[in-house]
Amino acid sequence: MFSLTARSWSPYAAGLVIGLLQIPAFYFIGTALGTSSAYVTISSSLAQFVDPSIVKIDYAAKHLSGAKNWWQVALIAGIVLGAFISSRLSGTPRWGASPFWAKAMGAHTPARRYMMAFIGGFIMVLGARIADGCTSGHGVSGIAQLAIGSFVAVTAMFGAGIITANLIYKRV
Amino acid sequence: MSVFVAILIGLAMGAIFGMALEKGRVCEGGVIVCQMQMSRHAMLKMFLTAVATGLVVLSVMVGFGLAKLSPKATLFAADIVGGAILGVGIVIAGACPGTVLAQIGTGYKDAIFTFIGGLFGALAFTYMEPNILKPVLTAGSYGKLTLDKLIGLPFPAVALTFAAIIVGFLVWLEKVSPWEKEIGPNADGLPAESADSMPQGAASRA
Repeated sequence: MFSLTARSWSPYAAGLVIGLLQIPAFYFIGTALGTSSAYVTISSSLAQFVDPSIVKIDYAAKHLSGAKNWWQVALIAGIVLGAFISSRLSGTPRWGASPFWAKAMGAHTPARRYMMAFIGGFIMVLGARIADGCTSGHGVSGIAQLAIGSFVAVTAMFGAGIITANLIYKRV
Repeated sequence: MSVFVAILIGLAMGAIFGMALEKGRVCEGGVIVCQMQMSRHAMLKMFLTAVATGLVVLSVMVGFGLAKLSPKATLFAADIVGGAILGVGIVIAGACPGTVLAQIGTGYKDAIFTFIGGLFGALAFTYMEPNILKPVLTAGSYGKLTLDKLIGLPFPAVALTFAAIIVGFLVWLEKVSPWEKEIGPNADGLPAESADSMPQGAASRA
């Protein structure tokens, strides 16, 4: 069920592992799982080289230091590492872009996909910061704490996602 | 806690998180987009299992005084507007802010562009927050509203009931749409019957 050389686990086994990660998150760090505020910590840290005055923006300043912020940056770095190890152990490394995109979009070039990925990434994290959470912070963690705001944000996320996905892609 | 120790804990937790995302195949853009088209449900199954597990874990931890919950404030305008923008971005990118990192780990090149786009999105928010976005962000603010307080029952009672409802729904969903079929033969969320995954003999016979 939890074999590291398996190509996939059931979504229930994978979801169980993620849910259990709330234990160390609350016990050691005193916070819930989340990923999108790490984007603020990383981008504000890098932007300091170009614009040192960014530290005067409260929102940047409160993301730049402290154990919780750098814990989350380490968490997302760890995700890259864990997925790398997992995909190599099971012999499912990937490259380029998934064949899914050519099927869902018809005319498809790598350059077009990379541009879409960049734009999608921009919109995704901008939205997550406006809502103050993403699929993990509002979704997995917020709903597990029965937060009303998280129920609202996740409903809006799936609602807009379902409409967009059915409008812009072919069914594969 | 020192920042150094927090980083070590973060790396270890992240590695486990990344493995679970990869094994659950939400590292595939196809799995995420097909979920949003409501044609296949691997992502929803994994997501709801993580929520149900979290509800049980937090009920126990709160019950024994091992954790203090930190729900996010309810900000109706920000939650609706931000959540909708997030949903559109997820579909265009084929990733969430967390799963994109698992995509990078498996080797997908487009995910690197998604991540860099995400950093610019965070930066844009940081610069706009004090001046342009404040009115949106604070409209319809109700503080830290939670379902258990709204109903007036202890957290574990509501959380465990809700977890049981989720489990019931998942049992039904699995019966209607088994997960192995949804993941597909190449574990990328593409179905077996698509033409170019067919053996050549089968195609020429057709």
